[in-house]
Amino acid sequence: MRKKAGIALAFPAWAWLLFFFVIPVGYVVWFSFGYKPGIFGTHANDVLSFDRYVEVLTPTFFATFQNTLWIGILGTLACLAIGAPVAYWMAVKAPPSKRGLLVALVMVPFWTNFLVRTIGWQIILAPNGWVSGVMQTLGLGPLDILYTRQAVLLGVIYNYLPLMILPLFVAFDRVGPALREASKDLGAGRWTTFLRVTLPISRPGVLAGVLLVFIPLMGDYITATILGGAKGNMIGQMVATQFQTAQNWALGSAMAIMLILIVLLTTAVGLGIVWLVGVPMRLRNRVVLDPVPAVTAATAPASPAGGAA
Amino acid sequence: MPESPIRILASSDAVPTIRRELSRRGFLGIAAAAGAAAILTACSPGGGTSAAPKATGGALESKLSIYTWGDYDSPDVIDAFTKEQGPTVELSSFNSNEEMIAKLTAAKGTGGYDIVVPTGVYIQQMVQNGLLQKLNLDLIPNFKNLDSAFVGRAWDPDNEYSICKDWGTTGFVYDKTVISRELATWSDFLDAAQNEASGKTSMLDDASELTGAYFWANGIPWTTTDEGDLDAAEDFLVNTLAPHLEAFDSYPGGGAIQQASHVLMQAYNGDVRLALMETSEPDRWQWVLAGPKTEIWMDNWSIPTGAPHPEAAHAFINYVLDPAASLQELDYIGYHTGVANIEQAAADAGLELLDMVFFTPEQLATMEEGEVNDSLARVVDIYNKVKAAAGA
Amino acid sequence: MTATDTRTILSAKSTVTPRAKRNRGDLGFTIWGIAVLVFLFLPIAVVVVYSFNVGRLLTSFTQFGFDSFAAIVSNEVIRSAVLISVQTGFLAALLASVLGTLAGIAMARHPGKWVWWFLVLLLLVSVTPEIVDAVALLPWLVTLGQDWGIGFFNDGIFRLVIGHSLFSIAVVSYLVRARLIGLDAQLEEASADLYAPPLTTFRRVTLPLAMPAVLAGFLLSFTLSLDNTVIAAFISVAGSTPWPVYILGAVRTGLRPEIAAVSTIMLLLTLVALAVVALVLKRAGDSAADIARTMAGG
Repeated sequence: MRKKAGIALAFPAWAWLLFFFVIPVGYVVWFSFGYKPGIFGTHANDVLSFDRYVEVLTPTFFATFQNTLWIGILGTLACLAIGAPVAYWMAVKAPPSKRGLLVALVMVPFWTNFLVRTIGWQIILAPNGWVSGVMQTLGLGPLDILYTRQAVLLGVIYNYLPLMILPLFVAFDRVGPALREASKDLGAGRWTTFLRVTLPISRPGVLAGVLLVFIPLMGDYITATILGGAKGNMIGQMVATQFQTAQNWALGSAMAIMLILIVLLTTAVGLGIVWLVGVPMRLRNRVVLDPVPAVTAATAPASPAGGAA
Repeated sequence: MPESPIRILASSDAVPTIRRELSRRGFLGIAAAAGAAAILTACSPGGGTSAAPKATGGALESKLSIYTWGDYDSPDVIDAFTKEQGPTVELSSFNSNEEMIAKLTAAKGTGGYDIVVPTGVYIQQMVQNGLLQKLNLDLIPNFKNLDSAFVGRAWDPDNEYSICKDWGTTGFVYDKTVISRELATWSDFLDAAQNEASGKTSMLDDASELTGAYFWANGIPWTTTDEGDLDAAEDFLVNTLAPHLEAFDSYPGGGAIQQASHVLMQAYNGDVRLALMETSEPDRWQWVLAGPKTEIWMDNWSIPTGAPHPEAAHAFINYVLDPAASLQELDYIGYHTGVANIEQAAADAGLELLDMVFFTPEQLATMEEGEVNDSLARVVDIYNKVKAAAGA
Repeated sequence: MTATDTRTILSAKSTVTPRAKRNRGDLGFTIWGIAVLVFLFLPIAVVVVYSFNVGRLLTSFTQFGFDSFAAIVSNEVIRSAVLISVQTGFLAALLASVLGTLAGIAMARHPGKWVWWFLVLLLLVSVTPEIVDAVALLPWLVTLGQDWGIGFFNDGIFRLVIGHSLFSIAVVSYLVRARLIGLDAQLEEASADLYAPPLTTFRRVTLPLAMPAVLAGFLLSFTLSLDNTVIAAFISVAGSTPWPVYILGAVRTGLRPEIAAVSTIMLLLTLVALAVVALVLKRAGDSAADIARTMAGG
């Protein structure tokens, strides 16, 4: 009965996604086994083969993929490093009356079109811009950061920071002052409280933030190109080029599928590492922080799925 | 806008179908005569091939839908057209020819657009796939205003499917405070890129134009399909040039020139002209129409198959080819519209840097058209490799 | 039982915040937080400043003036693009919130083996690059609209809503599920014990419990939809060009200051809307802390 109610409630979402995501993407997988019929065609599927996948696995693809992965991982870690203290400040340190305002302030920049935001950065970082002028008068030389890897990182961090801060804020907030106070009452210092109380409870939220940043970041390419120029070469760009300039949907589809598989693989590896790192922490934590398991079996099957937050 | 009565000439057995279709919403503005045939053929999948012109000079419909590049039409011209002739104009924009072709192909003649603005090299492809219908040049008497140099190009020798909207060329611009010698050819460009402008060079973000720079510098037609040429191009571009490239930017005039981000930039003439007019340091930059050869690209007015308002479409194209309207367009978009003898009027109107818009016949002779051919896959591959090498 | 009681009692107490000791650590956090906020607003500030440029190019500040602001009134194309984006954003967010909430509640309260499959589906949705979604959706929507004659699928806004809703549904589902999983099912059980039929329990207990996550999901979906470019470019139809697609197209001819001006206006409207929402929530009796929770789905 429980299960039926569950399936019924989730049915609209199921159906919608099945109809508008699974089926169309099935098309793309189908395309990837085809080929490009002549210079004016985009795709044909009368002859099926894995040839497109072989075509994808070239040194160029790997070089670009390396670049993408470097930016993806570094960008995500940087977002985590920069965003976590902010989220903690918002959830724990800032006066409660100001929290709504802070959440809104974090979101508001996002409501300006991303291209306009990125151009804003271009203007700020311009070699003959205002910031550069100030640096030159201070004797530091002109600002030369545009079109470097650093600029790409900057742009990427900027665009994904809110996506990291918000889930982290939710996660830290859920811990609640009660448990932290209890921990302090029991003699734990601030770091200990953070590592053994706050972090474990907020783990699903942290994971959500990391995934919400890393995954779209791997497929993104526009910001990287605008701020990083040649150094901002990402796989997403190669996929887009195949679908647009080269009009080779078969090859583009194969690249896209490879990208998806690679992102899944990296995510799995990352989650595995996190799990491994968390083992000693979990062994030491003797307090069970999940809600007291109710008698129903309902909560038990839910926990294996909890890893993806 | 006065509602013009719709007159349809059709066979008697088609009449009930037409009546039924007409009473449905969304079928407003059906043209005369062949309009009935258009309904019936549009309903069948697979789309019709480009048959006889569908417009015959009947009354103008009340709407016009133009599918064009973003911000590519003077709002004043459009408003004036609506005021003088009636149809309200609706603009939709696309960002690349391939996107536009994909849309039109997928829509199979029911996209709802009346005018589409493809770049010349794609017109062959669109005609072969039945995406464009023939123009009725009788309805476009202003066609004669076009300069003969911009009529009858390789992709449409008889202008059956397209008329020049505007055209441009590719050259480069460099920072005179960094590069003190004079550059004039593509060889100079490639040389400077490896020396004074190393690490500060940007090239167009387009596969054909990227490889084009190499071919033009070496006197090879840039549409070549010869394996040897392509191999040589790849070797040079990937191994020698790529490490010196800083960016792939098709519109440096919009930002890079203002911000002095690069020292040497391959760019379109109109883009650089705009930047030079707006920058605070115009004397710092030197534009070069590089020789010995370069390209001519042209954006065209075309009418897609299944256009719901062909009369208005023809009327608009005719309106825009009028010299006064054409000058307004030129001023707005910054490229030559192909209409003859407006250089004097442009000078009188106070437009600046006209040598970057109007070119001499000698300069025009150095510009060659592009082509979509078998080399496309290889050229895109070279482009990807160059990007990967430059990003390393 | 005990855990819930403890939490309830202590959270009632904690609305009276003990005066925080201003120590160096707290100051460090505050400085960092404010610095990051400044960082987030830096380019926005630049855009606002440059919207007062009356030159031809956005990036080249020639003269101070208000002319660019007239564009949203006089330029029909820009105005319609903004309206389309806002309309689509709202509808997509609504759709995603409804579907995502139902799914999230189902996963949290009525789990079963199907949850695993659904999560895999959601993960796939999140992992797929936008360009793949775009290319996949276009022929499918055309098949539905043209070949099968289902008129809905030819409507521009409907198509855009479909395209924008995919990722958003996944996001809202995650948020709602995360929120409800953390809360005991006991309140719903109590409601059932008090003879409330399942629908009433859903309406008066489950839904309000999930509401903060739902609102957060709605806000996030709206934001994501406003910025969605690649999918929109592929599946939009004549007359329904959304704002990001217009901008991307305008780069070709050099962005005009009007774009910055319109962005500034949109920013102001956003701030006004948020202020109104905050006011409404305050009037409804929520304390400021609860408003924060509401906005962030805590």
